[in-house]
Amino acid sequence: MLDERLLKILACPLCKESVEFKEGKLVCTKCGRRYPVKDGIPIMLIEEAELPEEKGEKK
Amino acid sequence: MRNKEKIKSAVRSGYARIAKQKGVCCAPECSCSEDLARSISRKIGYSEEEMRSVPEGANLGLGCGNPVAIAELKPGETVLDLGSGAGFDCFLAARRVGETGKVIGVDMTPEMLERARQNARKVGFKNVEFRLGEIENLPVADSSVDVVISNCVINLSPDKKRVFKEAFRVLKPGGRLMISDIVLLKELPGFIKKSVEAYVGCLSGAIMKEEYIKIIKAAGFKRVKIVEETFFPMDCIANDPTAKAIVEDLKIPLKELKGIESSVLSIKVKAVKLTG
Repeated sequence: MLDERLLKILACPLCKESVEFKEGKLVCTKCGRRYPVKDGIPIMLIEEAELPEEKGEKK
Repeated sequence: MRNKEKIKSAVRSGYARIAKQKGVCCAPECSCSEDLARSISRKIGYSEEEMRSVPEGANLGLGCGNPVAIAELKPGETVLDLGSGAGFDCFLAARRVGETGKVIGVDMTPEMLERARQNARKVGFKNVEFRLGEIENLPVADSSVDVVISNCVINLSPDKKRVFKEAFRVLKPGGRLMISDIVLLKELPGFIKKSVEAYVGCLSGAIMKEEYIKIIKAAGFKRVKIVEETFFPMDCIANDPTAKAIVEDLKIPLKELKGIESSVLSIKVKAVKLTG
């Protein structure tokens, strides 16, 4: 869905490190923040990212 | 800081409102929409052919015009559009860079991106992608794009220094910055500076021309050059919430509005990130 070449230049807006596409989310390889993808658009807002420790706790 | 957040949220909701409307006008009784967007776009230098080439609804007539930047794009280049809105410039850029090139639009207003995405789908552009993000915190890797374009958006940012630093960071060495924006020749009267509507309408957030150029240089850019400057036609500003706020809410006499007109400039700036 997301273009390979564009995924490569996508980065975490906070630490500017690369992100990986995992389980429908873009995960920062450094801080672990998880950015959602909605209708094919990555939501790269720091305040809307899930923190790694929140995983499983919420919802 | 709290103030910056306040501005950001006002800008976001202002443009969300515009995105949800069919056309460009804010007043419900206005019926000019698409036609007005076209006439504004023609005035700021886009050709009829360019306007025809993008999906209907992508041109909201909100920019101050960046056709020069579009014209200088080369096939195969990766382009980043700061504040891409409904995608007008992205689609034009996509045509220039061709299938081997890529265009990324970043905008912080979900409603705008939704329009952009729908527009991209209409025409089946494969080389354009959009990201919801802030131009002060670009979700883009270091040294990864050839050209940063932006059309009348940076004035809206409460942290312009950071925007230019970010633009510098994401550009490859040798990469170019080609933007258009609104700057001031004279400080605006205090009551306008305080108006949130005027901020959203690209006026109160604008800073003095010298200061603007200084910030670009301080971010690391070289060969910073204003390639064009024109007085910003007030009827372009009238296209968004500004004129309504100024003329109606603030009850400014026409004479004073003319005075403001001579303080507001639309500029096109080019700069490069030198190699090494």
